[in-house]
Amino acid sequence: MTASNVDQAPGRKSGAGGTALTLLAWLIGITMFFPILWVVLTALKTEQTAFSMTPTFIFSPTLESFRSALAQGSGYWHYALNSVITALGSTLVGLALAIPAAYAMAFYPSRRTDFTLVWMVSTKFIPAVGVLIPVFLVYRSLGLLDTRLGLTMLFTAMNLPIMVWMVYSYFRDIPVDIVEAASIDGASTTQTMFRVILPLALPGLASTGLLALILAWNESFWSLTMTDYHAATLAVYTASFKSGEGLFWARLSAASVLTIAPIVVLGWFAQRQMVRGLTFGAVK
Amino acid sequence: MATDEQGIAQARHEASSDDTPPRGRGTRVRRQRVRAAWLFLAPMLIVLTAVAGWPLVRTFWFSLTDASLSSLDGAQFIGFDNYLVFDDGWYGILADPLWWQSVWNTLYFTLVSVSLEAVLGVIVALVLNAHFRGRTLVRAAMLIPWAIPTVVSAKIWAWMLNDQFGIINHLLLTIGLIDAPLSWTADASLSMWAVIMVDVWKATPFVALLVLAALQMLPNDCYEAAKVDGIHPAKVFFRVTLPLITPALLVAVIFRALDALRVFDVIYVLTSNAASTMTMSIYARQQLVEFQDVGYGSAASTLLFMIIALVTVIYLYLGRRQLGGEQ
Repeated sequence: MTASNVDQAPGRKSGAGGTALTLLAWLIGITMFFPILWVVLTALKTEQTAFSMTPTFIFSPTLESFRSALAQGSGYWHYALNSVITALGSTLVGLALAIPAAYAMAFYPSRRTDFTLVWMVSTKFIPAVGVLIPVFLVYRSLGLLDTRLGLTMLFTAMNLPIMVWMVYSYFRDIPVDIVEAASIDGASTTQTMFRVILPLALPGLASTGLLALILAWNESFWSLTMTDYHAATLAVYTASFKSGEGLFWARLSAASVLTIAPIVVLGWFAQRQMVRGLTFGAVK
Repeated sequence: MATDEQGIAQARHEASSDDTPPRGRGTRVRRQRVRAAWLFLAPMLIVLTAVAGWPLVRTFWFSLTDASLSSLDGAQFIGFDNYLVFDDGWYGILADPLWWQSVWNTLYFTLVSVSLEAVLGVIVALVLNAHFRGRTLVRAAMLIPWAIPTVVSAKIWAWMLNDQFGIINHLLLTIGLIDAPLSWTADASLSMWAVIMVDVWKATPFVALLVLAALQMLPNDCYEAAKVDGIHPAKVFFRVTLPLITPALLVAVIFRALDALRVFDVIYVLTSNAASTMTMSIYARQQLVEFQDVGYGSAASTLLFMIIALVTVIYLYLGRRQLGGEQ
């Protein structure tokens, strides 16, 4: 069904047009994937091979770089744990804040709803650099610098507008009659939300959570500026591999692979949810 | 699709807004609902105000002072002197050629990269929407660039673009497109394109996904009809497909444009503070952190915020008018 949207003659799919299309699709896929492939290959090289003047695809792979990137002193597991805690924490807190807010806007809209939505999205105009100093000062006086709690709060605030927006768009797909019916049957607002609406919107909530998880995992500006070591995430870990004039590229590559591996694996398994999350949230 | 949605939204609004109480229900219930609604909204509003709104107000206040990182408390109110002041010649950000270059660089970067991402995103979405062998695999591979941290992807590209050991130069030399290695990130005439290339690589999947979702929701009968009438596929695309996916494309473009106007990390990793790729965010950070000039840097941040807001308003206005005209 979908094929005919592009290939206007579905009958030719298996013919020359189909082959050309497959080739084009694979070409695009390989081009997009090549940098990732290259960093994985570099990670499997020795520093000497990585620095050959003619970059090579054929070499005997070694796990040496991974070993040194994972070695005791590198602290990979420390950073990874911070990444997991801050990403998961901000996602859960974000959902806890976004669900009621989106619920109120979707099912009890008022004249202020549009304004609230626009104001919320307008916080996305704020460049992170622009609020760096005030946030830094507040964090310093509250003792939140370089803490997981502080970083989690920043991630939450960073993702909140898009999370509310997405949950709101899922809620809006649910007929308002259901809420009316539940309240006529005597359900309280909280009961309606937890017993009726949340189960209906569960796939959407999962997609929203997944997207927030990925965005938090990938955040680098705040993690680099607000943390030093205690709360530093994998983004800081990767950035700490100073490339300088290109020393230790193989090790940097190994570190990069270790940073992106968890999220890529998660994304792979949850691909369908992720596509749903991204698209439903923004398109509808 | 858009009309439908508006219809639903309107119906919903009529069904439950403050002005038109649902039939047979008293004001007590309504008041209770309004209270519940506010209660539900409050946590989100408080968090956003505390973490985004308040710092923004403080930044604006700093921009009116001569604060520096070492003496924040002793800052003096100096009005708009950070923006523009006449003191035997014009001083302030608005008189700084580097600021104007950053503004120009940012707008140029945004326009070129977002345009490329929109065009390529549509093409990729059209391809991914067709059936071919290994579609799931290709789609998953496509997602990866978007799903990895910018710091990491910028480092990956810095390595690939390395003038001596980079694979890009090697490939270009091998196929004979260039005669000598290019220093992508150091050469002022190339670095902007290097940065744009990395951004396009990273963000095209995002646009493609949004467009793909819109494509999959298109009604099939238009295509059947067009096919029966023997209309050229290109014409079908421009007359049928493109108008139908425009709303999704507009959303993708605004999301991307907001990111592009604030672009920081990809440029910072690839070219640091080089003037040829300095954007407004990089300029503001340099003033704030490296020169420790909080007042001046805050003024730059405030201007950046206002420029983004202005661009967004213009874009939304134009977008709404265009969509309105089609309905």
